[in-house]
Parts: sequence; structure tokens; C-alpha cells
Amino acid sequence: MPTPPTPVITVHDAAKTYTTPAGDFPALRDVSLTVAPGEFVTVTGRSGSGKSTLLNLLAGIDRPTSGSVVIAGTDVHTLPESRLSSWRGRTIGMVFQFFQLLPTLTIAENVMLPMDFCATRPPRERHPHALHLLDTVGIADHADKLPAALSGGQQQRAAIARALANNPPVLLADEPTGNLDSATADMILELFTAQADTGTAIVMVTHERDLSTWAHRQIHLADGRIAHQDTP
Amino acid sequence: MTRPRYTKIRRDMRQARGRILLMTTAVAVSLIAIGAMLTARTVVTREASANYTATRPASATLDIAGGITPDLLTQVRTRPGITDATARQTLTARVRTGDTWHKMLLFVIDADDPLRISRFDIERGTWPPPADGILLERSAQALLDNPTAVTVTAPGGQPATFTVTGAVHDAAAQERTAYGYLTPQGLTRLGPTPTHHQLKTSIAGDQHTVDTRARELATWLTSQGHTVNAITAPPAGRHPHQSQIDSVTLLFLGFAAAALLLAAAVVATTLGGMLAQQTRQIGILKTLGATTTQILGTYLLLTLAVATAALLLAAAPAILAGLALADATAGLLNLDITDTSIPTWVLAALAATGLGTPLLVALAPLTRAARTTVRAALDHRGTTPPATTRAVRPARGNRLVSLALRNALRRRGRLALTLALLTAGGALFTGGLSTANAWNTWVDDGLARRHYDAEITLTRPAPAHRLTELLRGVPGLTAAEPLSSAPAVPVRGGQVEPARTYPDGGHGAFNLVALPPQSRLTDFELLRGRHLRDGEPGTAVLNQTAATRLGDPAPGTHVTLRAAGTDTTLRVVGVVAEVGGPATAYTAHEPQATATAVRLAYDDPAALTRAEQRLADAGIAAATVVPTAELRTAVDEHVLILIQTLVALAALMAVVGTLGLASAMGIAVTERTREFGIMQTLGATPRTVRLTLILEGTAIGLAGSLLAVAAGLPAAALVGDMLGTLSFGLPLPLAPSRGGMAAWAALGVAAAAAATLTAARRAGRLTVKDTLTYE
Ligand SMILES: Nc1ncnc2c1ncn2[C@@H]1O[C@H](COP(=O)(O)OP(=O)(O)OP(=O)(O)O)[C@@H](O)[C@H]1O
Ligand SMILES: [Mg+2]
Repeated sequence: MPTPPTPVITVHDAAKTYTTPAGDFPALRDVSLTVAPGEFVTVTGRSGSGKSTLLNLLAGIDRPTSGSVVIAGTDVHTLPESRLSSWRGRTIGMVFQFFQLLPTLTIAENVMLPMDFCATRPPRERHPHALHLLDTVGIADHADKLPAALSGGQQQRAAIARALANNPPVLLADEPTGNLDSATADMILELFTAQADTGTAIVMVTHERDLSTWAHRQIHLADGRIAHQDTP
Repeated sequence: MTRPRYTKIRRDMRQARGRILLMTTAVAVSLIAIGAMLTARTVVTREASANYTATRPASATLDIAGGITPDLLTQVRTRPGITDATARQTLTARVRTGDTWHKMLLFVIDADDPLRISRFDIERGTWPPPADGILLERSAQALLDNPTAVTVTAPGGQPATFTVTGAVHDAAAQERTAYGYLTPQGLTRLGPTPTHHQLKTSIAGDQHTVDTRARELATWLTSQGHTVNAITAPPAGRHPHQSQIDSVTLLFLGFAAAALLLAAAVVATTLGGMLAQQTRQIGILKTLGATTTQILGTYLLLTLAVATAALLLAAAPAILAGLALADATAGLLNLDITDTSIPTWVLAALAATGLGTPLLVALAPLTRAARTTVRAALDHRGTTPPATTRAVRPARGNRLVSLALRNALRRRGRLALTLALLTAGGALFTGGLSTANAWNTWVDDGLARRHYDAEITLTRPAPAHRLTELLRGVPGLTAAEPLSSAPAVPVRGGQVEPARTYPDGGHGAFNLVALPPQSRLTDFELLRGRHLRDGEPGTAVLNQTAATRLGDPAPGTHVTLRAAGTDTTLRVVGVVAEVGGPATAYTAHEPQATATAVRLAYDDPAALTRAEQRLADAGIAAATVVPTAELRTAVDEHVLILIQTLVALAALMAVVGTLGLASAMGIAVTERTREFGIMQTLGATPRTVRLTLILEGTAIGLAGSLLAVAAGLPAAALVGDMLGTLSFGLPLPLAPSRGGMAAWAALGVAAAAAATLTAARRAGRLTVKDTLTYE
């Protein structure tokens, strides 16, 4: 049996408590979790079970109330706000339920944005690389269109190409197929699997109960705790 | 700029071109005002100084009894500190063209005078003129209708006609006085014997040195057996109107700066609105690796683009308007603008304020927006929850009105800013117009307090009672009041202060005037203390200018004035407001006193000629005859251009204020686009949506107008205080411009309705689907 690879995501005893006028609300309680490079993990659970909260901790969008989050060797929970953005731009690719493409930029320009902000590539190479990524997700033909001219599935593929622009070690997706029909959703999941095969760790929040055909591991959250994990 | 973040800014700008245009216009309009004022101020100040210095005004002029001989002049030239000297003669005469008489200042200059001191530029003809020729100052040319010959009467002489052989430009010549230049031979034709009583000197150094040297010279002259009647040393190198130019242009510049601040506020609110819409996008950019600095940078770039566009649009009109204003002012001040170049620092300052102010003001909302955390940005829904849970419930039963008001109150901060913008714009607008109004009222009022129609000054003093007797019964004459007026110099600590009078005898002059205490022909408004009373010799009432010159003495204080070589100590009993006159101390006339002038009131203009004739028949000659109406024109000319500029600035404020309202309403509509869709899915017709919006806008416009009108009063008081003090030494009364207030109220409501209508049209045209998918 080969030794397990060093995890790219290590969450240790992470808890998140929201302070509300009605009192403290524990959205996440002592969650521990590791994800290895190339692993495709789904997170499921009822509405309000803490899925998005977990993802936000991984992305450095929220900080844990206690516990630690280490991603690609960086202690995310201690990273100052000023360095979070560029760290995120290089380390994390994010995909949202509502695509979130910038409406006034073409698809290719949307994909070029992370390279622009993080200066990860010489300016000359950015456009060709964007086209290459769009080709990978199968929408190279639409590179010069505005997002509004694309279907939901096409927009989500563009969003994935954009998330991969800086070749991040981690891809986080919050219900990326929630707004798509099942055939289109399957195509997206196929893209994720292919990406995981290149070594990217993927954590995807989803409502769909069983994605065992695609995912390497399924984490089930209930009341802010990991209820069980299924490894197919 | 091929990097996508700049592409985004460019496209965002194109998409929001209405707002970009609005911001650009607001900034450009205010920059035009700033640039114009700065240009005019710089050019006029520089040219006034250059023109005045070019006349090489005498540093100090000593009035020597009996005149100056060539020998004495040569000796004076060698006195310490005196770099040059010349002897001249000036006298007040009258000039007639057609049927009207004007006051004329005659400058008698030797044919061989090198014209190194108190010089002038010959514009036509040559110097010296023949004995029967005269050169006129060009403003006199205009005043007298370009005469070819003029009939002049000198005090104590006979009329003589002179051919106008040329025109000169004397930058020190001011207002409604005709300046004439002739030789002693010419003067002989008029009767008086030429005597060079004025010793004009050039003294190097500051005012203090000039004063000291002039006093030393006077002491020396006295030791040589001469009598020095007076020393005058006008402020060195300063044009007679320099301080007015300085202060008025500074005030206008202040107005323009206020306009720019207003415009910057428009930029800030508009950008704030645009950013609120982009909050989610900012969040997305941050998940893609954009740092706060990068986001701030791109939006600052957008602001800079707006400011640059405004600056480019404004630069040329600003300079042209400024030069036009400078030109108009130069015409008024009898200046030649020889150099229209605009110093680089003016352009640099315009660029710096034009680019800097919007950036500075936008910095706060931009930084706030750029700092938004991803979390907050992704949670953002485009609208903010209501600030209050308590619904406003006016207009019982009218749902539409209550909905509109509730909406208006929903964004408290925005509402406050919009109202503040409208109020500031309106306050400055109504304030400006009220000041203009106050000015007019005050001049009217002040002149209405002079109940005489003309003043005749006599060539030689005559007994007052004799004048009264002579003029009694002149047909058409309703009143005649003798008075005596003498140039005076304040004496402090036993030392005569060098008078600061300019050669025109008006600017900087100080007069001691004796009036019948119960004067019926003037009733100046009392500012402090009381009026003069009968049988109270040794008391004085000062006008505000004299009071200022004497250091605002309280009633009861004693002041000493030297007139005609004699010191008189007077007890100040009151201070009055006098529009359009030099500094004057009024004392009570003794019944047996002599008079130097007589004021006349009449119903028939012909009475003036008859009165003059009556006096002449008795051997009393008139030196000058000044109709009171002429005073009005002199004051008006000063004031008109200021009022026009003020009104122009006020109009500008109105433009900026309206743009602010338009922007705020536009934002309010765009922000709620989704809500309109929801309202429509719930059964509201597009018409209802539109109507609610228009009601909301009109309510804001109305509130803004009312606040503006209220805030405009103190603004007017403040500006009136400054302008009045600058020009007349007295604050202007508060005279609210009803027209201005009504105009602003109407404008505010109309602009609000129009701005909302445009936005509402757009909202009403959107389909439900459009609004619900609206990002
Ligand atoms: N900012 C917040 N303040 C207070 N409570 C919050 C906040 N954000 C989330 N919560 C609460 O934390 C709990 C977990 O929220 P979270 O968004 O992680 O749920 P989720 O599993 O993603 O649900 P869904 O499937 O509906 O997206 C919920 O009960 C939610 O109400
Ligand atoms: Mg969620």
C-alpha cells in the first residue's frame, strides 16, 4: 500500500460560531478534515447544515472561531486580510452557483482577470492561455462573447476556466450545478474529475445525494458536524 | 490598456455614460468658474500693477505754498533719498460739452518737463500741445463724447476754448472725472497764474522710507522758509483699486471653490451609487485575487478619467471667460491689458484642483467600497434594509404618497447628501442673488438719502448766509444749502499723517465738511451715536470710511484733523453710513461761516443754470457742478460687473446642484430596479411605479428648495457683509431676493421631477424579466 500523499487541505477542529441578536449560533462545530492533491471531495447536507460556512473557511472568506485551516502549507486562519486576496488568487479557484462572471467583460477577458491581478503570467501570454483554458472546457468558440450571450452551462464552464486561470492547487465550488439541468451538470462534473486527475484538490458543495460515480469521497454535514464520510 | 481590469473600467464607463457625463459636467462647470476667476484675478492684478507702475507715480507729493522755483527744484533733487523730483500744478476746473458741465482735473505741465514722474502714454497727438490746445485722458474722451474742442473754466478765471490735440492714457485716471493736460501757457488763457505748487518726488524704498524721506524734505523746506501745506504719499506701487481687486476676486474665487466642492460631492455620491451596484462584482474580483489596492486603483483611475475629461473640457472656456472678465474689469478701471499671458502656475493650480479635488473627495467612498470583504460583497443584495421599521404615514389613505415618502426616507445617508447638495447649491444661488439685490437696494437707498440734485463748488469761499440770500427765490429751486469742504489729514500724536490720497483727489481722500446741523438735504443712516446738533461746536459725525481711517473711534472720542494748515480737534458724536463718497468728517456749520460749495435741490433742471447765473452775477464763480445722478453712474459701474459675476456664479451653483439631484435620483432608481420588477409581478402597473418615483423625487426637490431658501439667508448675509465691507466699508443690508428664492424653489422641484422622470421612464420601460435578472 503506497503512503498517502501530503494533504493540500488540513482542517483541524475548526468551529464557526455566529453571534446574532438571538444569541450565539454554532454553524460549524469542531470539524477536522484533510484533502489530498488530486482528490475530488463533495460536501452534502441539509440547508443550513454549514456547507457554505465550511467552504468559506477553506477560501479564507471567513475565519474560524477556533481551530485551524492550513491550505498548501499556509495557515489561512492567521493570514492578514491584506494578503488574503492575492494568496487566494494564486491558491484557490472558486466556482459559484450563479457563475458570477463580470457582465461587461468578454468570456476570455473574464478568464484573464486572475492572471492580471496576480501577475502570474507575462501579459503577452495571458490571452493565449485563456483561450487554451476555454478550449479545455469546450467553449473556445465563445471566447469573445459577453456572458449574457451564453447559456447557463456555458457560463459555468467559463467560470471554471477562470477559476483555473492561475493553476491553483485547490478548487472550491458551492453548488456549481445547482442552476443547471442534469445533462449539463454531468458535463461540469466530468470537467471536475478531469481536473482532479491533473492533481487539483476539489471540494464541491452539492445538494445531490449521491455523486459516488464522480467523487472520491463524500462528506456529509449535519448541524455543523461531519455526520459521516463515504469513500466509494 | 488591454489589461482586462482597465477594459472593465472602460466598459463600465460606457455603460454608465449618463452618469459619467453628469459627473464630468458638474466638475467641468465648476472648473470653468475657478479657472475664470483665477485667470481674471491674476491678469487684472498684474496688469493693474504694471499699468500703474508704468505711470511712475510720485512716491510723495508736497504741496508748497507759493510754488517751486527751478532753483529750488534743483536743490530738492540733491536732497538725501530723493531720486528724482519735478514741479507741477493741478487744479480742478469745469469742462463743457454742449450743455453739460463736468468736473475736470487740469494737469499743468511744463513743455520741457521730462515726464519721468506721473507720466502718461500719448495715444494720439504730441506733447506738448500748443497754448490753445489740450490733451485729454482717453476716458475723458469717452465721457465727453470725443470732442474736437472743449470749453474749460478754471476757478477764478474766464472760460476759454481749447482744441483737443490728442489723447493720452493715464492709468491713474479714474471714473467720472475728465483729465486734461496742458502747458502753463494754456493755463494763462484761463486766468489763473501758473504756480508749480506740487513738488512730486521719487523716493526709493518702502512706504515707511517714503514717509520718512518726505517728512525730512518737508522739514528742510520749512527751514528754507517755505510752507508745506500737505504731504500725500499714496500706497507705494498699488493701483487705487488694488485692494478691491484683491478682495473681490478672492471672494469670487471662494464661490468658485464652493462650486467645485459641490461638484466633487456630486462625483462622490454618483460614484458611491455606481459602486453600490458593483459591490458583488468587487467581491468576485477579490475571489479572483484582486487586492484592495488594485481595486481602489482601478476606481481611482475612473475618477481620474472623469476629472481629466472635465479639465480638458473646462480649460479653454475657463481661460476665455477669465480673459473676458479681465477685459471688462480693465475697461472699468481704465487699464490697458498689454499682456494676456497666463502664468504657468495658474494652469498648474487649475489642473491640480481639477484633478485633485474629485480624487480626494472620492477617496473615502472608493476606499470603503474597495475594502468590502468578499463575505460582505457576496451577501450584498443591492438594497439596504430600511433604516427604520416604523413606517411614515402622512397623507392619510394615500398609499402612493406614503410609499414614495417611505422610499425617500429609506436611504437616510443618501437623502441627507442629496438634500445637502441641493441646499448648498440653492443657498449659494439665492445667496448670490440676494447679495446682488442688497447691493442695488443699498445703492438706491444710499443715494436716495441725498436729497439734493446738484452740488456747485465755488472757486473761492463765500459767506454762507450770502449764498443763501442770493439763491432765495430762484425759480424752480426748492432748497439751497451752503457747506464748506476742505481736504484734511488726520493728525496723530502731534504728527501729520502723510495723506494717502491718489492724484485724482478722490481715492484715499479725507474731507472735513461743515454742514448746517439741521441739513435737510442729506439724512445719512446713523450707525452709532447720534447726529450733529445746533449750538455744539467742536463735535463731528464721521462717515464709515472716515471712521475706519481713524480706527473706529467710539462716540465721545476726540480726533484731530489738519485742514488748510490748522489743526482742529473734534469730539466724535456719531458715525453715519454714506454711499459713494470719500472719507468725511462732518461738523456743524457756524452761521457766519464761509462756504466752499452749495447743494441745490430743484424741480426744474433749468434752475441749476439760473442759480449758477445768480451767483456769477454776484461775483461768485462755480468751480465744478456735479449732478447727484453722476454719483449714481459712478457707483453703478463699480457694482454692475460684480453683480453680473455674482449672478453668473449663482447660476453655476444651480447647475451643479441640479446635477447632484439628477444623479441621486438616477441612483435611487437603478438601485431599486429589481424591486420595481417585484412590484410589477405583484400587480403594480408601470404607471404606478413611475408615479411613485416622481412623487419621491418631487418631495426631495421641494425639501431641498425649502432648506436652500432658509440656508440662503445666512449665506447672503455673510457674502453681503464681505462685499459691502470691501466696497463701501459697511456690511450690506439683508435684502432677500424673492425672485431668486422663487426661481430656486421652482427650479429645484422642476429639476427633481425631470431627473426622476428620466429615470422613471427607464424603469417603467423595463420588463418584469429585465428587472428580475438585473444585476
Ligand atoms: N452571517 C451569518 N450570521 C448568522 N448566522 C449565519 C450567518 N451565515 C450563516 N449563518 C447560519 O449558519 C448556518 C449554516 O449556514 P450555511 O450557509 O453554511 O448553510 P448551508 O449548508 O450552505 O445551507 P444552504 O444549503 O441553504 O446553502 C445557517 O443556519 C445560517 O443561518
Ligand atoms: Mg450554502
